[in-house]
Amino acid sequence: MDLREFKERLFALGSAAGLGDMEIYAARTKELEVRIFKSEVDDYSLSDVVGVGFRAQYGGKVGYAFTERMDEASLQFLVEAAKANAQIIDSDDEIEFFPGSPAYPEVETYNAALDDLSSEEYIDAALRLEQAALAADSRVDLVNWALTGYYSEEVFMANTKGLEQSYRKNFAVGYVSAVVKDKDQIKTGHRFRCVFDWDELKPGELAREAAEEGASLLDADTVPSGDYRIILRRDVARDILATFAGVFSAEAVQKGLSLLGDKLGTKIAAGHVTLTDNPLLPKAGGSRPFDGEGVAVQATTVIKDGQLTNFLHNLKTAKKAGVETTGNANRGSYKSPVGIAPTNFYFEPGTASFDELVKELHQGLIIIDVQGLHSGANPVSGDFSLGAYGYLVEGGRIARAVDQITVSGNFFTLLQDVAAVGTDLEFGAPGGGGNIGSPSLLIKSLAVAGK
Amino acid sequence: MLLESTILQVLAAALSTGGDFAEIFAEDTSTTSINMINGKVEEGVLGRDFGVGIRIFQGTRSVYAYTNDLSPANLISVAQEAAAALPGSSPQETLVLERSTVPNAHLVKIRPSDVSQARKVEVMREAHAGAQGTDPLISQVAVRYHDSHQQILVANSEGLLTEDQRVRTRLAVQAVATKGSEKQSGFYGPGRHMGFEMFELINPREAGKRAAQIAATMIHADYAPSGRYPVVIHNEFGGVIFHEACGHGLEATSVAKGTSVFAGKLGEKVASELVTAIDDGSIPNAWGSQNIDDEGTPTRRNVLIEKGVLKGYMIDKLNGRRMGMAPTGNARRQSYRFAPTSRMTNTFIDGGTSTVEEIIGNTEWGLFAKTMGGGSVNPTTGEFNFAVMEGYLIENGQITKPVRGATLIGQGSEILKKIDMVANNLARGQGMCGSISGSIPADVGQPTIRVAEITVGGRKGGN
Repeated sequence: MDLREFKERLFALGSAAGLGDMEIYAARTKELEVRIFKSEVDDYSLSDVVGVGFRAQYGGKVGYAFTERMDEASLQFLVEAAKANAQIIDSDDEIEFFPGSPAYPEVETYNAALDDLSSEEYIDAALRLEQAALAADSRVDLVNWALTGYYSEEVFMANTKGLEQSYRKNFAVGYVSAVVKDKDQIKTGHRFRCVFDWDELKPGELAREAAEEGASLLDADTVPSGDYRIILRRDVARDILATFAGVFSAEAVQKGLSLLGDKLGTKIAAGHVTLTDNPLLPKAGGSRPFDGEGVAVQATTVIKDGQLTNFLHNLKTAKKAGVETTGNANRGSYKSPVGIAPTNFYFEPGTASFDELVKELHQGLIIIDVQGLHSGANPVSGDFSLGAYGYLVEGGRIARAVDQITVSGNFFTLLQDVAAVGTDLEFGAPGGGGNIGSPSLLIKSLAVAGK
Repeated sequence: MLLESTILQVLAAALSTGGDFAEIFAEDTSTTSINMINGKVEEGVLGRDFGVGIRIFQGTRSVYAYTNDLSPANLISVAQEAAAALPGSSPQETLVLERSTVPNAHLVKIRPSDVSQARKVEVMREAHAGAQGTDPLISQVAVRYHDSHQQILVANSEGLLTEDQRVRTRLAVQAVATKGSEKQSGFYGPGRHMGFEMFELINPREAGKRAAQIAATMIHADYAPSGRYPVVIHNEFGGVIFHEACGHGLEATSVAKGTSVFAGKLGEKVASELVTAIDDGSIPNAWGSQNIDDEGTPTRRNVLIEKGVLKGYMIDKLNGRRMGMAPTGNARRQSYRFAPTSRMTNTFIDGGTSTVEEIIGNTEWGLFAKTMGGGSVNPTTGEFNFAVMEGYLIENGQITKPVRGATLIGQGSEILKKIDMVANNLARGQGMCGSISGSIPADVGQPTIRVAEITVGGRKGGN
């Protein structure tokens, strides 16, 4: 059944069953993923799936349901399930469906040229990832990941208030992980890149960086426990921001789950910290013209020169707070209810190149990877304690590799302790929780446990 | 879900090029998720996952395609498109499917679909009340209820045609204690491969209380001292240490490629002789159990390590080809959206002979990690990282005061050798395990064990 036909029939059936306003959020995704192992295509997967999320008003509450099967039985299922779910809702929040914004921004999210690439190009690029990593350093023993992929998504939203909007986006990714061996030592180095123009993938460069990083970690040792000045490399700073991004959501604030609840308008970070959510960035993984409620998006400054200026809102939280929505309503997928998530969410770059940051650090550690973010970080308290590795810096130069340490601190303290911000802003893998980016950050002090 | 004639046509299309094995996995899954925050139901979602995955092997090369348009024409075209990635030709033999039925070891008394949403909410209210009433410092309680009924069909070019049903129910409670500007949280999330009768075994009020007690205890805790010292890891969810630090390295996914520290070590001593480790996907009604795995192989009890000696791996079909070994019933996937690979089911260190009292009494100074949080591991290097959700100091053979913020870090293979006491109180806890074939339910487990020395990261200076 065609999506528009499905929608018409669903709304008619729902109406007959006594449902009030109704809305569908449908997504069709197509993916291709190629993994190379020892110059063979080790894994090749392709997909094309559609899913429909449905929500409906009933008795003043909203019930949700979804299906991946577009048949007659599913129409009935969606209507009954949404009705059953509306009846158990206790929350007094008034939720209104959105009739549509007067205008929607033009956002560059789709590159037709990417769709025209053949699967051979993806296979070739993955092969190049493996070959280039092996060629970069004689100690590269194995390339345990050499992956390329394509992702595209078409989102279609419509409701009985008159909203009917759609957009599509696509991008390609490359990921490589090199295993470096020297005598009985094993280290890995890895790199990921998400691009909107195929030429930007540069598999040779990506693989070289991964291999060189792996090799640079050989002969690592721990350091004495204590407080250190630390550079969080861009990818580590990004992962930490991603872990704690939820504290800037008005939903967390209104539920008392954010320690920033009463801090609006106050200084929560060092003066050179500015944190932005910008869904309008061209060719970025989190960009889109409208949010999960159909509201036209806009850029929002969350921290401006250290001062907390905004939380991220959807219609529900905005109404409660007496402000306008920031257009951050999010459907992680058609299976998820409306929540709040950032789009392209990043610390604005500063003025120091990475080398300058290292000079400024003078004595301390560079952290290039952390493990255990999903377990060793408490998004409520802001506390984190993470396994880490990186380099020891002495006299403004990298002296040696460091491993077997944990880095502990608190996200809110860390914001205050940012001593310098790099120029090297980079985004990670776009996902349901937004597309997070950061430049490298120089932090005044973090606790390190080593020997 | 699919007609036999369609299955035969799709398998034939999949083998129309160079493939030597083809498989169809069809799935129709109904799920319920309900979220309650501070006693109020905020969201309820009912859903239906539906689709088919087609997999083709050519030697050790593998192609996977999935779709949720199940019309025969589309399935054949998807199979052809996937097959195009494996150029060549293979002899076409006439295929006959033989339906195989595995007896159901996981009886379900009350199907989730026969229970009203309102009744499910009642259970959540009890859990909420149990948590809220535990301590005046409990400031937030989130309760999640989840059930799923997965119906699968697996057919392959070896003639297999089989089906299975997996019904799972889970209740998860997160409680937050607040004191001034500080917050600490506790979690408990019991689950089973069974229907709503799970609540005859698990008292929701007690489950709520258990999560709240962790938060209420840890809010009064000082930071754990960092350094290298003995750690006693309690039973049940403490088994996450073995799951993360060793279990993943025993999956054929990393063994076949030689990237695991356990590769090529069958028959060698890899752990203290106090350690016997098992993966058993056949335990009746356990969270990680199912009758057959997602390639249709019956699940079974696999001894991984026996008295410190490496005895076996967890193996799926594709990696079995690479390793020249038979599948062990461990091929799993989150859904039709993932190709299956070797994964853990219910994995645990077997019980020993010490008592918990003996272990604590014999530890002059150390950490008692009573409840573990989650963790992660680099399967290549074996380096792991776990959070301790609820920890206590052991001083002069006695548990003294709670400590927070501890992280255990180290190398899986090293820790296994340093286990020097194992208690007789084996218990299992439930988790969701994320890896390349998605997020799947898995039990972790162990008795209380002592690790002679482990690096503990914490906020407080060295000891």
